[in-house]
Amino acid sequence: MSAVANPTQIVKKNYVTAIREALFEEMALNPDMICQGEDIGILGGAFGVTEGLQAEYGASRVIDMPISEACIVGSAVGMALAGKTVMAEMQFIDFISCGFDQIVNMMATYCYRTAGEVNMPVVVRGPAGAYGGGALYHSQMNEAWFCNSPGLKVICPSTPYDAKGLMKAALRDGNPCLFFEIKELYRKREVEELLPEEDYVIQLGKAAVRRSGKDITFVSYGQNVYHCLQAADELAKLGVDAEVIDIRTLVPLDEDTIFTSIAKTSRLIVVNEAPMTCGFAGEIIARVSEKAFEYLDAAPVRITRLDTPVPWVKPLELYVLPSVEKIVAAALKTVKY
Amino acid sequence: MSRASGTASSEKATTSRDVPQLRPRDLLSKDDCLEIFKQVYLARYFDVRLIKEKRRGRLKGTLYSSHNQEAILVGALFGLESNDWISPIHRDMPAFFLKDIKGDWRRPDRFGMSINEVCAQVWGKADSPGRARDNWSHIGSRSKHIIHSTSMLAGTIPVAAGLMYADRLNGGNAVCVTFNGEGSTAQGIFHEAINYAAVHKLSVVTVVENNQWAYGTPMELGCPTSDVADRAKGYGIPGFIADGQDVFDVYDKVMMAVEHARKGNGPSIVECKTFRAYGHGDHDDDRANKYRPQEEIVKGRQRDPIGVCRRTLMALGYLGDDAAELYHAEGKNATEATNEDFPPEVVDFLNEGIEFALQSPLPAAEEAGRWVFKEDN
Repeated sequence: MSAVANPTQIVKKNYVTAIREALFEEMALNPDMICQGEDIGILGGAFGVTEGLQAEYGASRVIDMPISEACIVGSAVGMALAGKTVMAEMQFIDFISCGFDQIVNMMATYCYRTAGEVNMPVVVRGPAGAYGGGALYHSQMNEAWFCNSPGLKVICPSTPYDAKGLMKAALRDGNPCLFFEIKELYRKREVEELLPEEDYVIQLGKAAVRRSGKDITFVSYGQNVYHCLQAADELAKLGVDAEVIDIRTLVPLDEDTIFTSIAKTSRLIVVNEAPMTCGFAGEIIARVSEKAFEYLDAAPVRITRLDTPVPWVKPLELYVLPSVEKIVAAALKTVKY
Repeated sequence: MSRASGTASSEKATTSRDVPQLRPRDLLSKDDCLEIFKQVYLARYFDVRLIKEKRRGRLKGTLYSSHNQEAILVGALFGLESNDWISPIHRDMPAFFLKDIKGDWRRPDRFGMSINEVCAQVWGKADSPGRARDNWSHIGSRSKHIIHSTSMLAGTIPVAAGLMYADRLNGGNAVCVTFNGEGSTAQGIFHEAINYAAVHKLSVVTVVENNQWAYGTPMELGCPTSDVADRAKGYGIPGFIADGQDVFDVYDKVMMAVEHARKGNGPSIVECKTFRAYGHGDHDDDRANKYRPQEEIVKGRQRDPIGVCRRTLMALGYLGDDAAELYHAEGKNATEATNEDFPPEVVDFLNEGIEFALQSPLPAAEEAGRWVFKEDN
C-alpha cells in the first residue's frame, strides 16, 4: 500500500493523495469494489490518481477501459446489478458528455424505475475545472447538468480532508454519485493538510463554514472557495467581514447552513466557475429567495463564468472566470446596497 | 432486395469456428418441441389479446406488437439456463414471462416473471414489478435476472457486458442474451459495448431482431451492409444469421452463441431476419401501411412463425396430419383471430393474468416521490 504515513514522520498530504488513499482504503475494505476507466491501470491514471492501484489489486478489479465513456458507465451499472461497487473514472470530467445517456437515463433512474429493487453504488469521478489553460474541453465544470437529473448525488470537495472523506462516503452511499475533483488543486502545496490516520467519512449534504463573518455571505464550492477566502481577506482590510461557506455537496444541498449564515449577514454572493445560465449559483439564489427572502437586505449576486466556453490563453480564460477582484467589487457594491 | 423477410439463407449462417456436428435442435425431445410450439402460440396470443383489450377500451397506452416475431423470443429463450440473464426491449413483451417458463408455467420459483406481473405492468398497476413507474417493457428484476431497459436503444448491451464481467468475477458462468432491433445497431453504444465485451470475452449474446424497419426508416438507410451480422467481423466474434420465422433455426443459432460464450469464448451477434407485422407501435399502424410497400408487407408476413413451426413438427412426426385443422391463428391479424384459434391452456393462462391485473390497485399517487434515491428499509 502506497499511502500509509509513517507515524514518526507525519506529513501533510495533497488533494490527489487524499483521493488515492480513499480509493486504496475502500478497495481494501470492500472486496466487491471495482475501479475502471481509461488509462487507470498500467499508467495509473492521467493525473496519477490511481497510481499503484492495479499493482495492488490486480487487473481484474482495476480495469483499463477502451475510450468508451458510455460503456464505462453502462458496464458499471451492470456490475452494480451483480452486487459490485464501482468507481468509474472520466479522464477529464469534460468527457462525461460522451457517457451522458448512460448516466442520466440508465444509472440515475435505476432505483426509481425499479421501485427500490436495485440501487447503484457507483461513483463517477474525474478532474474538473478551469484556471489551468486547459481550453474548451479540459476545463469544464458541468455539474449543473447532473444536478438537473434526479437520482444523482453531486459532490465537489475543495480540500484534501474533504476529498478523502467525501470519496469514502460516496463509495459507501449506495446511490450514484458524481464526484468533481478540482485538478488545479491536485498538487497545490498551499492546500495540503494532515489527514487522520483512522478511517473517516464526511456526511454528504453538510456544508462547511470556512470563514466566519457578519457582513456578507459568500457561498461557493471547489476552487472558487479559495477565491472567496482571498476576497474576504481583502475585504477585511476595508472593514467588511465576510463569511465563506463551502457547500461541498450540491445534491443533497445543506440549505440550513446557508440560511443560518444569511440570517446573520443579510447579504449573499454565490460564486461558481460554471456558466451563469441555469448554473448551480442560480439554484442557490432561488432557494434563498423562496425560503429566506426576509433575511435579505440586498439583491443576491451570482459571480460565475460568463456564458461562454472556457477559452485557452490566459487573458481570455481569466476574463470569463470568477476572480478575487470580481468578488471584492461585487461585495463592496452589495454591502452598500 | 435484402429487405424480403424470412428468406434468410441460414446456410450463410456462421463465422463460428466450432460448428457442432449435431444441431442444438437435434437434442430436443418431442415434448420440448411441442412445448416450443405452444409457447409460440402463447406469445402470439398475448399480442392478439392485448390488441383486442385495447380496442375494447379496457387498456391504455402504446402497444409494440411482437406479431410475426414470436419465433425469435421463444427460440432465443428456450435453451437458456434458469439463472442466465436477458434484456428484452419494447417489441419483446412476451419475453418477460417466457424466460425460464419451461415445465409448469405457473411455477412460483421461476427465474422469469409471472403472467400476473407482466399483465399488472401492461395495465399500469401496483403489482407491476416496477410498481408502474415506467411503462410497457421497461421492467425487469434483479432477482429473476432480467435487465431493465430504457427507451435508449442498445443501451442495455453495456449493462449486460458489465454484469457478465462481474458474474465471472463472482465465479458464475451465466450468459446474458440482449434483444435489439436492427435500427439500434447504428447506436454508438452498440459498438462501444460489443467492442468491450469482445476485448474481455464476456458472455453477451446480442440478438438482433432485423424486422427491416426502424420505426419509419428502412434497413438500408441505417445499415450499410445487407446483413447486420457482418458487424461481428470487426470485433473478431461470431456473427450468426437465423431465419427469424423459424423458431428452431433461432434456437440453433442462439444456442451456438450461448455455448460459445459458456465455454469462455466471448460474445456473438445473432441476427434474426424477420418482418414487423404492424406499425412501430399501434399509433403507427395506419401510417406503416402507407410508408411500407404493400407487396413488402405481404411477402414479409407470408411465413407465419406458427405455420413454420407446425410444418416442422409435422415433418418430424410430432404432430399428426390433422394438426393444421386444430387451431387457426396462422396468418390472422389480431382483429381476425378469436380465442378458438388458440390452445385453451394458452387462453386460460392469459385470462388469469388479465383478471389479476384488472383487480390490482393503482399505485398510490404519493409513491411518485419515492425511490429517487435508495431508501433504507
